[in-house]
Amino acid sequence: MLRLVAGRIASSIGTLLFVGLALFALTRSGPGSPARIVLGAEATAEQIAQFEQAHGLDRPFLSQYAAWLGDVTHGDFGRSFVTGRDVASEIANALPVTLAIVAFAFLIALVFGIGIGVLAALKPGGAFDRISRFASVLGLSVPAFWLGIVLIRFLAVDLRLLPPGGYFPLSSGLSLHLQSILMPSLSLAVYYIAVLARMTQASLQETLRGDYVRTARAMGLSSRQVVFYALVNALPPVVNLAALSFGYMFGWALIIEQVFNIPGLSRALLNAISQRDFLLLQGIVFLFTAIFVFANLGADLINRMLDPRQRAAA
Amino acid sequence: MSSLRKALEGLDWSGWLGAGIVGLIILAAIFAPLIAPYDPLALNVEDRLAAPDASHWLGTDQGGRDVLSRILFGARASLSVGIGAVLTGAIIGVSAGIFAAYKGGFGEQVVMRIVDGVASIPLLVWAIAIVGILGVGPLPVGPLLLPNEVKIVVLVGCLFSPVFARVTYAVARRIAGADYVRARFLQGASHWQIVSGDVLPNCLSPIIVQATLLVAIGIVIEASISFVGLGVQPPQPSWGTMLSDARSAIYSGEWWLPVFPGLAISLTVIGFNLLGDAVRELFDPRSEARTLVA
Amino acid sequence: MSAALLTVEGLRVGFRSAYGGMVEAVRGVDFSVAPGEAVGIVGESGSGKSLSMLAVMRLLGASAGATGGRVIFDGEDLLAADEKRMRALRGRDIAMVFQDPQSSLNPALTIGRQITDVVRAHRDVSTGEARRIAAEALESVGIRDAGRRLAAYPHEFSGGMRQRALIAMAIACRPRLLIADEPTTALDVTVQAQIVDLIAELRRELGLAVVFISHNLQLVAEIVDRVVVMYGGKVVEDGPVEAIERAPRHPYTRLLKACVPSLTGPVGPLTAIEGTPPRLGRLPVGCPFSPRCPDAAESCGHQMPPLIAEAGHSTACWRPR
Repeated sequence: MLRLVAGRIASSIGTLLFVGLALFALTRSGPGSPARIVLGAEATAEQIAQFEQAHGLDRPFLSQYAAWLGDVTHGDFGRSFVTGRDVASEIANALPVTLAIVAFAFLIALVFGIGIGVLAALKPGGAFDRISRFASVLGLSVPAFWLGIVLIRFLAVDLRLLPPGGYFPLSSGLSLHLQSILMPSLSLAVYYIAVLARMTQASLQETLRGDYVRTARAMGLSSRQVVFYALVNALPPVVNLAALSFGYMFGWALIIEQVFNIPGLSRALLNAISQRDFLLLQGIVFLFTAIFVFANLGADLINRMLDPRQRAAA
Repeated sequence: MSSLRKALEGLDWSGWLGAGIVGLIILAAIFAPLIAPYDPLALNVEDRLAAPDASHWLGTDQGGRDVLSRILFGARASLSVGIGAVLTGAIIGVSAGIFAAYKGGFGEQVVMRIVDGVASIPLLVWAIAIVGILGVGPLPVGPLLLPNEVKIVVLVGCLFSPVFARVTYAVARRIAGADYVRARFLQGASHWQIVSGDVLPNCLSPIIVQATLLVAIGIVIEASISFVGLGVQPPQPSWGTMLSDARSAIYSGEWWLPVFPGLAISLTVIGFNLLGDAVRELFDPRSEARTLVA
Repeated sequence: MSAALLTVEGLRVGFRSAYGGMVEAVRGVDFSVAPGEAVGIVGESGSGKSLSMLAVMRLLGASAGATGGRVIFDGEDLLAADEKRMRALRGRDIAMVFQDPQSSLNPALTIGRQITDVVRAHRDVSTGEARRIAAEALESVGIRDAGRRLAAYPHEFSGGMRQRALIAMAIACRPRLLIADEPTTALDVTVQAQIVDLIAELRRELGLAVVFISHNLQLVAEIVDRVVVMYGGKVVEDGPVEAIERAPRHPYTRLLKACVPSLTGPVGPLTAIEGTPPRLGRLPVGCPFSPRCPDAAESCGHQMPPLIAEAGHSTACWRPR
């Protein structure tokens, strides 16, 4: 078992390194070399060559990548050519903000998505079932950032219940913090509530039809236990989907942050783009990619862990 | 074609509703120049920020431009990017999947590894980053000047391709190993005949299911990228840029500016989702087209 | 005569068909089971044998259910009992094992967990005590090293062992009636015999009454005291196993017997029953077997023959031998 897990982790790291290489190639190949950006358009060829040598930009491509990777494993993402600031600390400032939004959204999606799915499956054909199906279609279709705008209009501007934007970190107080992330996280979560609810309902409905559920009933187990027996088998695909969703949420969080003016990684990324700060951009995109790759890995491993047959076979 | 008839009979009311919405929006996009009451780019400062009324059914924006016309033309951007990306992804992905399943051996390993690699890329982040690196200006390719949308179509298309590659690979592998295919091969059918006659038709249904659902996602991606300024460039109308422009209106009360573009996106996505779900129920209730998340 | 443990009177079971509308699959069934008695219910697919017992246990879902009759278990009408009462009875007084051991066990939980859950649902014992009872049950069905086996998952067991485990689960609380619905149909022939023997042995040890449902008359005849033959949702014959074996009265029973080729007798063409199994929605007004019956008269299909008892052996036929 352990060998399989180690193998999968190694495979994911390999994929990440390979994808990182592609990323490195892209940022290096973009128009405008760092030398020109820093030294200005009138820089002479000699000045440029000097600059590039000083920063190791004249070395072979792969060795530059290897060097950068080496630094990254020590937590050093380099120092920006454009702003002069340490990339790692810029990321470290912005990451917790984005993380707070995504984590809260994930929690909301898990609780409500699975909850609604379970309730709908327990009473097939009932009112709850029909309403949740209808709501799922809506939830899947309404773009999160538009939902954010609508929420701002209603809850912040019209009803004045919540702040219309901005971010209050945990250190400013739990209440303020939650108020500032409630709408962004909710907007982000709605799509995934729908996705998880649909999956949970379908999965649970199917397992409830299983023969072992009939056995459980035939042996006189309470209805709560019967549902548990079904859930144990119904949840693994849901958990798998949830892990994947966690990875996807980070991407959409970028857009949501812009709607709510949240100083997270999206602001850092868009600034990096507008300032042509490719070192910062590289660091941020690499981080996002790593999160995504490991979210996918998590989903895969969870799948294997939860099935006793696969646990044994591994 | 009998399967087409069976398909049409099998669609239930939600599928028809989805098909209807999709059809309507495609028609609106194609015939926008004929239907739109005004020029979507025409500025008319006197009439700016007018609420919906008889002359402007959906109101006007900060530049006095007719919102309805802009939404009709905006459909073009969203649909062309969404459908374009899916087509691109399907062509790349299906080819890769069939190649891998058919060739086997080293080629198969390499191709599927690359597919895994591309599937490991977070779509939205990279789309934003790459457009950011390349810039939002038009791309000179030979004699043509391709607008920014083309970059997005190619990018998103490449990032969509793993879905198609995996689905096609799974089906093709199953079929390529089937006894009746081997029999046909022994009878002298060429590889190409087998691929086009047996493999592709069987892949078609899961591909169509995935394609329909991915168009919905592609539309939201286009809107999102345009929203942050990296997609369709002004003054061209896009639902995403209209929403971005409408952000100030949240506070000042011109509700029609954020509401209608958002409704347009939602309605279009609902249409494709309903259609995709109905098609999936029809062709593939369980296996290959499980649940698509993005 | 001692009071019957289970008496089924005029049981009718219907279900909602795929085309809408109710279809009656069990159309007035009567039989009884005495304490400690083993009764075999024999019939082909669609005869209503499984549905009848599922209705007795009140295990039918929302789309099917008993539509009439009474089921008296130890003086109590099960069809009138509420769900809470049924839950108390199931697994404790009446237990049922089903056809497919592969899918009847929860793949995500250990065997021990599943058995102890049943024990603790009915008896107020500690986990440790429940495990001891579970291990004892596994031993009694012939699974050695029961203590360790409790921690095993169903996929680690063979088909026969799984069915044994299910039987262990069923008898763990010492029920008075065990219903076995085609318990051997999904198993290899050699394992079939083992399971049948196991049920017979458990019946002796525990004094259980057994209802053994099967489509195989020969298999059932080995361990039961009485046989109830069903066709088209009705009981067509009901008698002691020796009588059924030696001198079956209903044409269907006779043909069932004749279908089994003899290993020792003369070689000849195989006997088959003409025609196809009845379609539930299209049953004749009279005797359900009349379309296929070699002895049938015109009138047989017009009026339902009553189940007439004669010295403990009943037949529902207008023209029995």
